[in-house]
Amino acid sequence: MIRNALGRELPESIPGYGVVKPFLGHDKRVPEGNRDGGRIKATFGNQTDKVLPDIKAAIAASGLKSGMTVSFHHHLRNGDYVVNMVIDACAEMGIRDLTLFPTALFGVHKKLIPHIKSGVIRRIMGSVNGPIGQLVSEGGMEEPVVLRSHGGRPRAVTCGDVHIDVAFLAAPRADRYGNLSGVGSKSACGSLGYAFTDAMYADCVVAVTDCLQPYPIGNVSISQLYVDFVVAVESIGDPAGIVSGTTQITRDPLRLLISRYAAQLIEASPYFKNGISFQTGAGGIPLAVTAFMKEAMKRREVKGSFGLGGITGYFVDLLKEGYVERLLDVQSFDLEAVRSIASNPDHVEISADWYANPWNKGCAVNMLDVVILGATELDKDFNANVNTEADGALLHGIGGHQDTAAGAKLTIISQPLLRGRIPCVVDSVYSVTTPGEVVDAVVTEYGVTINPRRQDLIDAAKEAGNFPLLSMEELLAKAKDLVGPMEPVQTEERIVGVIEWRDGTVIDVVRQLKAKA
Amino acid sequence: MKTASAGTVESMDCLVTVSEGAPGSGLSIQLSGAATARFAPTMRKAVQEVATAMGASDLSISIQDNGALDLILKARTEAALARYRGGDTA
Repeated sequence: MIRNALGRELPESIPGYGVVKPFLGHDKRVPEGNRDGGRIKATFGNQTDKVLPDIKAAIAASGLKSGMTVSFHHHLRNGDYVVNMVIDACAEMGIRDLTLFPTALFGVHKKLIPHIKSGVIRRIMGSVNGPIGQLVSEGGMEEPVVLRSHGGRPRAVTCGDVHIDVAFLAAPRADRYGNLSGVGSKSACGSLGYAFTDAMYADCVVAVTDCLQPYPIGNVSISQLYVDFVVAVESIGDPAGIVSGTTQITRDPLRLLISRYAAQLIEASPYFKNGISFQTGAGGIPLAVTAFMKEAMKRREVKGSFGLGGITGYFVDLLKEGYVERLLDVQSFDLEAVRSIASNPDHVEISADWYANPWNKGCAVNMLDVVILGATELDKDFNANVNTEADGALLHGIGGHQDTAAGAKLTIISQPLLRGRIPCVVDSVYSVTTPGEVVDAVVTEYGVTINPRRQDLIDAAKEAGNFPLLSMEELLAKAKDLVGPMEPVQTEERIVGVIEWRDGTVIDVVRQLKAKA
Repeated sequence: MKTASAGTVESMDCLVTVSEGAPGSGLSIQLSGAATARFAPTMRKAVQEVATAMGASDLSISIQDNGALDLILKARTEAALARYRGGDTA
């Protein structure tokens, strides 16, 4: 056993994962050598059409064999048909032992469970949730799931930790020569940000579309330079699951109170000035924080520079109204965002690499002032867990949590102190996703709790004096008083999940749950 | 079989159902809900305390929990036991 910089005990090597490089600190590991890459291919003037008749023909042409790694992006979210379609076809073709390397999986992908049980899928590197997460947590997969952040994933690909044999890219619009677009069709999803690295680094790239148009299409996200084959299918996804309706700001008074405290903390911070940049995501509380911030920006005549990350209609309004100059969009959540990215040049599509990869020449999170995040739990050292639930089940991906926390100058985690009886602050988190060294404050209905290493923020908050401040010890005492003593999670020794920090070191592992008596 | 219940399955509440047990069976408590993964002993203790204080015996108490704190767990148990005894006033 070895201990990483957070004191978490890790084996030196994990079956199905390999040698463990222990977490050293958030910015301690630096790369050496050159980037990895896909196979070189020549395409001459006698080849002017990349369309193949169906998925099976594309799988055959791609050279996909048992034991290889296939990748997917998650811009079609819970509406996606492509992952299930491709894996079904692989199963029918007798291909087995695949490593599935999606940018994320959703509830719709529970149809993969029979393929996991029958051995078509041997390993998943990517987030697991719902029924697949439960299956993994109970020991239903031979090899551990490897969790990486939105920035950690392109890092792993570009440095060669993960080599993609075939990338299957769901494309809402495409032409016969492999130019791909996320807008302008029935299955429009907006940004194709997560798909870029896969397109550029896979040995073979297959685009799957339900809107094949004459060459060349406009609004090209991923160009013909990267795409080997194009397949047209009836439908790549259900539009109702691809984009959500307009995300609503929370109306719950408790959550509004939390949001107001968070906005007041931002206003009190040194970052609240012209040029402020922020990422708030799509949750109810973060959207309300944005609304309160907007009021403050109006009142104090502050103009922001950019909004980052997953983009909603609310952010599109901020852009239109001049509260920010630009939106940098890795994922467009709703119809307003999809429309905006298709038509507004200040609404910029960015790749996951551009968004969050720590091993390039500068990613967008480094330019971020403020991020509002959630977590299932935090501990007295401000370490955050977003992967496992209170019962120890591995049910959530990392998303951009690690990346934005590490990049932003002010990282705020805002949420109610209790979810049911489950407290969001504990002595020691069950599994660590993001280390306390990059978390600056926790905001609950009791007020703002600032990491003691940010004395500058504590001073600024005291000077503002318009919201309650309490120490982590006080917050923890309140939680314990309300919920009573917690029993430890009962686990087996076997590791079912490896949580990588964005630089490829292991920040924690997740163990198999003990079967219920 | 005689039963009585109190509470709801709303978030942070619980539904307590009391039913007749075999003579001499004492008190049997069944807990369900997500919080039982980490709080079962504390929850059991809270229910036991109320039942003992009310002199309950030869009863089965079933808790369908949705994240209730002890305060609520105890109040719902007390109400269910009182209803079981016929007085709906407790």
